[in-house]
Amino acid sequence: MSYQLPVILFLIPFLTAVCMPMVGRKNRHCCRPMALAAVFAMCVMAVVNLWSVLVHGETRYAFGGWPVSTSLPSPPTGIEWVNDPLASVMLVAISFVASVCLIYGGPVLPQSLGRRVVLYYTLILLLISGLTGIVFAGDIFNVFVFLEVAALSAYALVGVSGGRALMAAFRYLILGTLGASFYLLGVVFFYAATGTLNMADLAQQMVDNPELMTSKAVIAGSTFMFIGLGIKMALFPLHGWLPGAYARAPDAISPILAALMTKVALYAWVRIMFWVLGARAEIGQVHLLTLLGALGAPAAVVGALLALSQQDVKRMFAYGGISHVGLILIGVSQGNQTGFAGGMFYMVNDAVTQAGLFFIAGAAIYQHGARTVEEWASLRGGSPWMTGALIILAMSMIGIPPTGGFFGKWYIMLGAIEAGNYLAVGAVVIATLLTMAYFQRLFVSIFRASQASSSWARVEMHISLRISVGVTSAAIIVLGLCSDPIIKYFRDIAASVGL
Amino acid sequence: MLEHIEAALQRPNFIAFVVLFLWGFFIMVAHPNLVKKLIGMYLLQTSVIFLLVTISAKAEAAAPILQGSDAVQSERHQIDPADYANPLPHVLTLTAIVVQVATLGVSLALVTAIYRQYGSLDEDQLLKRIE
Amino acid sequence: MIHAHDSTIVRTMSRLLIPLIQLFALYVLFFGQYGPGGGFAGGVMLGASLILGTLVFGPEAAPCLLAKKLIHGDGIGLMIFAGVGGLCLIGGGEFLNYSNLEIPWVDTDSRRRYLGILVTQIGVAVDIAVTALLIVFSLSLTNNSEESHA
Repeated sequence: MSYQLPVILFLIPFLTAVCMPMVGRKNRHCCRPMALAAVFAMCVMAVVNLWSVLVHGETRYAFGGWPVSTSLPSPPTGIEWVNDPLASVMLVAISFVASVCLIYGGPVLPQSLGRRVVLYYTLILLLISGLTGIVFAGDIFNVFVFLEVAALSAYALVGVSGGRALMAAFRYLILGTLGASFYLLGVVFFYAATGTLNMADLAQQMVDNPELMTSKAVIAGSTFMFIGLGIKMALFPLHGWLPGAYARAPDAISPILAALMTKVALYAWVRIMFWVLGARAEIGQVHLLTLLGALGAPAAVVGALLALSQQDVKRMFAYGGISHVGLILIGVSQGNQTGFAGGMFYMVNDAVTQAGLFFIAGAAIYQHGARTVEEWASLRGGSPWMTGALIILAMSMIGIPPTGGFFGKWYIMLGAIEAGNYLAVGAVVIATLLTMAYFQRLFVSIFRASQASSSWARVEMHISLRISVGVTSAAIIVLGLCSDPIIKYFRDIAASVGL
Repeated sequence: MLEHIEAALQRPNFIAFVVLFLWGFFIMVAHPNLVKKLIGMYLLQTSVIFLLVTISAKAEAAAPILQGSDAVQSERHQIDPADYANPLPHVLTLTAIVVQVATLGVSLALVTAIYRQYGSLDEDQLLKRIE
Repeated sequence: MIHAHDSTIVRTMSRLLIPLIQLFALYVLFFGQYGPGGGFAGGVMLGASLILGTLVFGPEAAPCLLAKKLIHGDGIGLMIFAGVGGLCLIGGGEFLNYSNLEIPWVDTDSRRRYLGILVTQIGVAVDIAVTALLIVFSLSLTNNSEESHA
């Protein structure tokens, strides 16, 4: 049964999404319980899967029974899913964040949806199943298909609330499809050069013929793949769609988009980088990892810098997300185990932190109608849950122990120092200082004493909002306290890749 | 330099792909009308699929299905795979076309919603009406 | 809004053509086992015939009522596909391993695979036809009639 776990994990949200339109036509109030049940079941199975991978090791799932062994003489003829330690951890993170976001999404949902709430939950579940497919995928074309499934659901979800969100969704669609087309072009070049799409087989061919790595087809293919995934993960020059899409999406959707979409695209690039191309890959005479570090550093700094100048709080948090993608890339590209472990740990932590930040932003809009930094002054009389969680989240974003953000940034910086890459250390430090600056703007606005205290009404948060915000903050503290075994886990993964 | 140009001219499908790709990209970026942007996006995706089809074309190839007497023959002696077309890139093409159609469906729905809400499909007009 | 087309030539020709297109779509669907074709192409043609009926005869005419009823079967095609895959899971193999389909009167391995592929392709065709119809309907209806089929 543990052999079938990847497919079961994919089928739980997928079958629920497929049955939902017809069930919802009869009774549209059972959609939310159905969706919640599916995501909780997925969460439980993801933990079981993680335990099974820890005990039994990595398994490969061959669809349809077609053989996928890479040993001679038969090349792999099937499609496989790889259930290895990195995938199982990502899946636990995805299902945990998705379940908390669905709990949060209840009261914050726009009331004007009416009958379309059925399709809304269908789209969310399709998004989750698409992300599951990307995480497990064992060949590069499967990544493309599930990337598009998740992205199409996201385009539709961003435009749900109408109004200004529609233009943002259109821009997201155009740029996202451009990214997917670049990625498909990369897959075409890889296929033309090697004749196979399976990641393990590609890695084997790269090792067997070293001149394949320097051939023009593979260089062009990996460049196009990187550009495509760079658009999807909103790497600095290619980030144009993100602030509009995340700021104007409905408040119930922004957490799940901000937490998961860019991180899973980054995960797909890490897969292709380390498991297909290999850590020693070179373009021209330059190591690919050095190029990545050189691209991640400006992204980290510029993202935080742009966040500093925003008025709208959701846009500010969206630019913070761009900065984090740069930080994760810096960590992963150092070429040693510490940096890789720090980067991956920061990715998991960032998924939870971004979700928490957008929970608070959406709760501020729902409870107090506060959208911009000035209007956040009315949070002073609000629930202590909200400001308490904001403090914990700020600590994690800036990097103060014992939250998870501190350990992530610490190991990223250790990895950079170990590799002698002092520019990266400088970039991380500057990004941290800028993050501290824009959080200080928020706190100054909330705790400024110049407003009369009688104008604040004490508003208690809705129970779902309190649960989601509380669970997220607790998760960040738990990630920080248990950081040691998790970092060791990621180090083992890095060692298995050859770092 | 000359041999590079000669090598490029011997692969007309790559030249056609590059021309279509850049044309679609230009339409997507330059035209202010939303539907024309969608046409550019469609052309872009079509050019990638076109490349995939042309690199998998094979002269005088049969469909890779063994039936009846062929299946019996294959147990007696080897079937030469050079006689049959490789089905994998055609399957990739089909999947990419389905993805393209789905993207077009979602994008047309978004454009229709934008038109119903704001009454214009021109990007400059829209940005003025949104503000 | 879709209005019924008022040209007699168009209406007569489409009355002739729609069943022909559907027949050809079924042919392509079933012939996918032996040559180019299969679920995607057959489904698109099936959807195209229903869209043609809607465009020519208007949303209220008899051919279009069948189309409107079909829209209610939104996820049926995918359910068939995933259902066949799930049956293979129950039978003991991997997700779409048709040789593990446990159906009582289908006994040899090749017959099981044949049936599995066929049912999967039928599911895909139904799904694509319904989706194409749904796209055309949701793009063409105005706001007041939007809620009637959602």
